[in-house]
Amino acid sequence: MRTTHVTWQLGQGAGWRPQLDGALARASGLGFIEVIAEAIGGHDLPAGVAAAVERGLQVVPHGVSLSLGGAERPSPGRLAHLASVAERVNAPLVSEHIAFVRAGGRESGHLLPVPRTREALAILSENVAIAQAALPVPLALEHVAALVEWPDAEMDEATFVSELVERTGALLLLDLSNLYANAYNHGYDALESLMGFPLDRIAYVHVGGGRFRDGVYHDTHADPVVPGVLHLVEALFSLADAPGVLLERDDDFPPEAELVAELRAIADAVRRGREQRVRA
Amino acid sequence: MPCAGGASSVSEPDRTAYAARQAQLLDALLRGSEPPAGFDAAHAGAAGSSLRRKRGRAVAQACPALALELGDGFGACFDAYARANDAPASGAPLEDGLAFARSLRHVTPLDDDVRVELLLARAALRRHGVFAGAAWLRRPRRRLLVVVRLPGLGTVHRSVPRRRPRRD
Repeated sequence: MRTTHVTWQLGQGAGWRPQLDGALARASGLGFIEVIAEAIGGHDLPAGVAAAVERGLQVVPHGVSLSLGGAERPSPGRLAHLASVAERVNAPLVSEHIAFVRAGGRESGHLLPVPRTREALAILSENVAIAQAALPVPLALEHVAALVEWPDAEMDEATFVSELVERTGALLLLDLSNLYANAYNHGYDALESLMGFPLDRIAYVHVGGGRFRDGVYHDTHADPVVPGVLHLVEALFSLADAPGVLLERDDDFPPEAELVAELRAIADAVRRGREQRVRA
Repeated sequence: MPCAGGASSVSEPDRTAYAARQAQLLDALLRGSEPPAGFDAAHAGAAGSSLRRKRGRAVAQACPALALELGDGFGACFDAYARANDAPASGAPLEDGLAFARSLRHVTPLDDDVRVELLLARAALRRHGVFAGAAWLRRPRRRLLVVVRLPGLGTVHRSVPRRRPRRD
């Protein structure tokens, strides 16, 4: 096991997407961007990403296809690609998900949850250790938004993630929108859940937009960030600090002014939370 | 701090059973069928719809003319298709869209714009070798659109009018 410690400050970030290239290049105050590792080719970086590296922004490769929560061990080819992207952007760390994306030879097309059992923890821990051994930089793990949950959970999500982080020495990519979505959809208290996560192991934080449809909160990344999620940002920073907070927007891209306003709203929530912590 | 079982080894049978359970759940989500025992059917239904909707959004973006032609019916139409047909192994939305459109051809005649889009999609998906394909277009007059793609030289399209104009 390699226990990694956070040695970086990322600041405010945004998920880099080709459609946001111009807006992110002009956005002031950004400290880092995240790139989907699978969207980067084997040779050249997208011009916008290369330009961000030149400008001194930190770049975090974010993997979506390792399927660390799957029954198969992560593929050496996929790991080599993630490692290569990390090296090419001089990344301080990379991130992936606590999820499976393929089974029985079929791809899900999206991140699916794993059972919260001792057995799943053991398989995940082994897969994470294989990934860590193949990567040149620390790995942060993100818990996912799950519309469906496995029956017979042996622990709650915060405990499961804490155990995994402790066993593997990996860091936490805390996604407050996923936390909000799971609490809302499965009927538990988001703030209480937040307090159970290993807040001293945060590599950075994700915030994304979503929408309510038929009584279900969908973590779409194609809508504005809902107030409940901004409250969680504030609550988190009132409890603990985190090296960075990143906005994810993947679809239905807003006008630039809206994106900038959303980044500002997140920064304001961070500031309010920090002020409460300092006063306390 | 001591760390129990950091890289503990899991025996093969565990992984095999785990794989089977994940494959069972994934199958139910992709097909929109009854989830395995113990799962909440409404939650599994929402999760399955969400997977198919995400796949459909990517297809609509790759094939905008097709999405425009189906309009509000796109969602339901693609959902029905996706329940019965896995995404292509490549994962490419353009290839997915082409197969989806082929499944519709027997049901409804496709508009000229869609036929052009699909013909160009076929050319774009042919990564190696020569591509030659054609599609009949109806407006403003009946003609044959021929697309030829040559490695290293690019894509050429020519519109060939039908020899004898129809008298109508």
